[in-house]
Amino acid sequence: MAQWRVIYNPEGDTADVVAYGAAVAEGRIAGKYQLSTTAVPDTVIVQRSTRKGIITGADVRVDREAARDAQIEVAQAPRQGRNSARAVGTVPLSELMAKGSRKLDAAPVEPDEPAVILYTSGTTGNPKGVTLTNRNFHFQLNTVVPSIIPFTHEDRVTGVLPLYHVYGLANGLIASVNSGACIILVPQYSPQNLLDAISDHNATINVAIPSMYQHLLTVARARKTSIPKSLKFCVSGGAPLSMTVIREFMGAFETQISEGYGLTETTSSVCCNLAGEGYKEGGIGRAADGVEMKVFNEENQEVSTGEVGEICIRSDTVSPGYWNNEEATRESFGEDGWFHTGDLGYVDEDGVFFITDRKKDLIIRGGFNISPREVEEVIMLHPKIQEAAVIAAHDKRGEEIVKAFVVMTEGEVMTEREVIDHCEANMAPYKRPKIVEFVDTLPKSATGKILRNELRGETTDKRLIEREV
Amino acid sequence: MFGRARSESDGPMPVGLAHTLEEITRRYRKREAIRFESQVITYRELEENANRVATGLATLGIGKGDRVAIMLPNIPEFAYSLFGIQKLGGVAVPFNTMYKGREISFILKDCGARAIICLTNFANLINEIKEECPDLEHVIVTGQRTLVFIDPNATVNVQMVFEKAQLPDPDEAFRAIGAVLVETFQELGVKDAWYKHQGAVRAGGGRKLATILLSEIENLYVSNIVAFLKEMDTEPLFKVLYVPPEIKDKALEPLTSVEQEAGETVALERFRDVLVEKLSRRLDITIQPGKLTRDELMAYEKNRALAHKV
Repeated sequence: MAQWRVIYNPEGDTADVVAYGAAVAEGRIAGKYQLSTTAVPDTVIVQRSTRKGIITGADVRVDREAARDAQIEVAQAPRQGRNSARAVGTVPLSELMAKGSRKLDAAPVEPDEPAVILYTSGTTGNPKGVTLTNRNFHFQLNTVVPSIIPFTHEDRVTGVLPLYHVYGLANGLIASVNSGACIILVPQYSPQNLLDAISDHNATINVAIPSMYQHLLTVARARKTSIPKSLKFCVSGGAPLSMTVIREFMGAFETQISEGYGLTETTSSVCCNLAGEGYKEGGIGRAADGVEMKVFNEENQEVSTGEVGEICIRSDTVSPGYWNNEEATRESFGEDGWFHTGDLGYVDEDGVFFITDRKKDLIIRGGFNISPREVEEVIMLHPKIQEAAVIAAHDKRGEEIVKAFVVMTEGEVMTEREVIDHCEANMAPYKRPKIVEFVDTLPKSATGKILRNELRGETTDKRLIEREV
Repeated sequence: MFGRARSESDGPMPVGLAHTLEEITRRYRKREAIRFESQVITYRELEENANRVATGLATLGIGKGDRVAIMLPNIPEFAYSLFGIQKLGGVAVPFNTMYKGREISFILKDCGARAIICLTNFANLINEIKEECPDLEHVIVTGQRTLVFIDPNATVNVQMVFEKAQLPDPDEAFRAIGAVLVETFQELGVKDAWYKHQGAVRAGGGRKLATILLSEIENLYVSNIVAFLKEMDTEPLFKVLYVPPEIKDKALEPLTSVEQEAGETVALERFRDVLVEKLSRRLDITIQPGKLTRDELMAYEKNRALAHKV
C-alpha cells in the first residue's frame, strides 16, 4: 500500500499557501533536487491562514496601499513559464503562438460572411447572438465612424470599455486600428486607472460610458490631481449623460464630449449628438452618414415630427440577424431592411432624435401609457435621491402599477412617504409610484444601462451551474 | 462634420478586418498600435502576433467559418486573438468575462465554438461546462490573473502533489479528488454536495462549496483546492480591487459553505481528519503526518520570498 504524508499548517499566512505547494512540487520534479537520497512521498497539504489575504497572478495589479489599510496580505503566485505546471485539458496560447508563423496572408472573405458574433442579453430567456458581417464592420468603420468621431493615425485612444462589448470593440479597438491610431488598453477599470491611462499616455480620444465621466470628474477633483488636458475629443454612449456632467467635464478637461447612440445589432454607433453648435440636451443627435433612421408606429408607418413611436434603422451597418434564431430575427429585422430597435422616441424638426423609453419597459395603467423614464426624471429631482428606476409591478387584480427603486444620496435618510409626496406634487396621479423600495445600488450592464428585467425579478441566476441528471 | 479619418489618396479600405489590419500595417508598420502597461506594440508586432495566433489555431484544425470564443479582458492577447481568427476567415465570439456557468455554456453551445481563448484562471470554469458543449474541442489559456481570496474564518486551502502514474487519466484524477471532497462534505453534514466535471464541488442549488484546479507538470499532478467552511466576507476584496458597486454580485460566483449548508461550524482539524480518511480510502493508501524535508524547506523559503517580491 502506497504511503502519503499530510502536512498540516493551521496557522500559516497567505505566502505559505503559495510556498508550501510550490516547494513540494519542486522537490518532487525529477532531477531538480539531487541532494536527497530518500524519495519524497506523495503529499496532501491542509492550510489555513491566520490573516485575510489575496493570492494574485503575476499580471494582476492590486492597490497595495488599500490592501495595507484593509489589513489584507498580498502574495503573488509564481509567474508561469514554459516549464511550469499547466491546468489539465488546456493549451497555453503562448505555446500555440510559438509554434505559429509570423507571416500569413489573410484568407479571402465575402462581405456577407460573419466576422463576429456578440451576445446580448434579452429581457427574458437566453441571450441572442448578433451576427456581424464583414460588410457591417466595413461600413461602420469607414462611413459611420468618420462622420462622428474624428480618429486620425496620430491619436491615442483609451481602451477602457470592455472589448467584448460592441461599443468598446467597434468604436474602440477596431476603429483605432482602422485609423492607424494607438489604443491604450486598460484591463481593469477603476476611475484612477482610467485617469492614469489618460495622463500617463497623453490620450487624445476617450471612448467611455456616462458613469466613467462622472467618476473621472470626481477623482480628478477630490485628489487634486492636475487634470490632464490632452483629450481633444470624448464620446459617451450606452446610457444618457447628464448635461451638468457634460458641461463640468468639458470645462475641467478642456475637451469636447459627444453622445453617441447605437446597438449591438447596428455594429455600435448610428447617430451622435455632437457637442457644440447643434447640440440638443437630452437628444441622441442626427443619423450618421450612411444611416437612415425613422420613427414608426405599430402599423409600421412613419409618424409625424414630435410623435412618439419605435425608432427604426436601415443601413449597411445593421446586422443581418441573430445567429441560430430565426424567430427573434423575424421579430426585429423587417424584410424591407428596417431594424426595429425596441427603443421608443421621436424626431424633432431639425432631425435630432430623442429616446423616451424601451418599448418593453412601458407601464400601462388604465389604458394609459406611462413612461418609466419620465417618472424617474421627476423622482430624481429630489435632492436626497441619487438614482431611481421605475418598473411595472402588479396589484392584487393583476393590473400594472408603478414601482420605484430608489438609491438615496450618501448620508441622506428618507421615507417612502417623502418620495410619494414629492411625486404627488410633480406628476399626474396615474403616473405616481404606488410602491417605493430603497436599494443600495441599481443593477446595471457593462455599459451602465439599468437592468430593469432584474428589478422585475424576471431573471434567474445564470451564474449557477446545472447539476447533471 | 469631421473629415474622413484618412486622406482620399490612401484609397479605399478593404473589406474584412484581417485585410484592414494588413493594409494599416503596410501603411504604419512602425507606428504604435497598442500601449499596455509598460509595453508598446507596433502595428508590425500586432500583425505578426495575430499571424502566430492564426497559424497556431490552424494547427488545431481551426479554419474558415469556425467559431472561436474569446473570454478575455482588455489585454493585447484579445487583439491578437480577434485579428488572428479573422486572418483564418473564422468567426470571433467575444463574451463578457464576468459570465459564469449557464451563461457560458449557452453561448458556447449556441454558436458551436470549436475553441475558446480565455484567461488561465477561467480554465476550470470552462472545463466544468465543457461536457455540455459537444463542439468545444480546445481550451486555450493565457494571462496570469488568478485571484484567490483567503479568509481565516472561512477558507481552507488544500494542495495535493502526487505521481500521475496513480491515476493516469486526468479526468479520472479529477473525479477521484471530486469524490473525496464530496464524501468529506457529506460526512460534515452537507448531504447534497455534488461534483461537477473538472471544476468544483457544489451544493445548495448550484453554489460553489469548493473549487478544484488540477495541473500537471512532468510526472506529477498538482491540485489546488479552496474549500469554504463558513460564509466568506468578500467586502475586503472589493477594497483592494475596484469593482463598480452595481456589478459586485456579478464579479463573484455564488458561493456557499459547510456552515450555511449543514448548519454547523466545522473545526479545521475535523475537516483535515475526514479529508485524510476519505482520501486514503479512495486511493487505497496510508497517510502519515509529515513535514517538509530539508530540500523542500529551501524551496519553501525561495517561494515565500518570490511571493512577497512584487
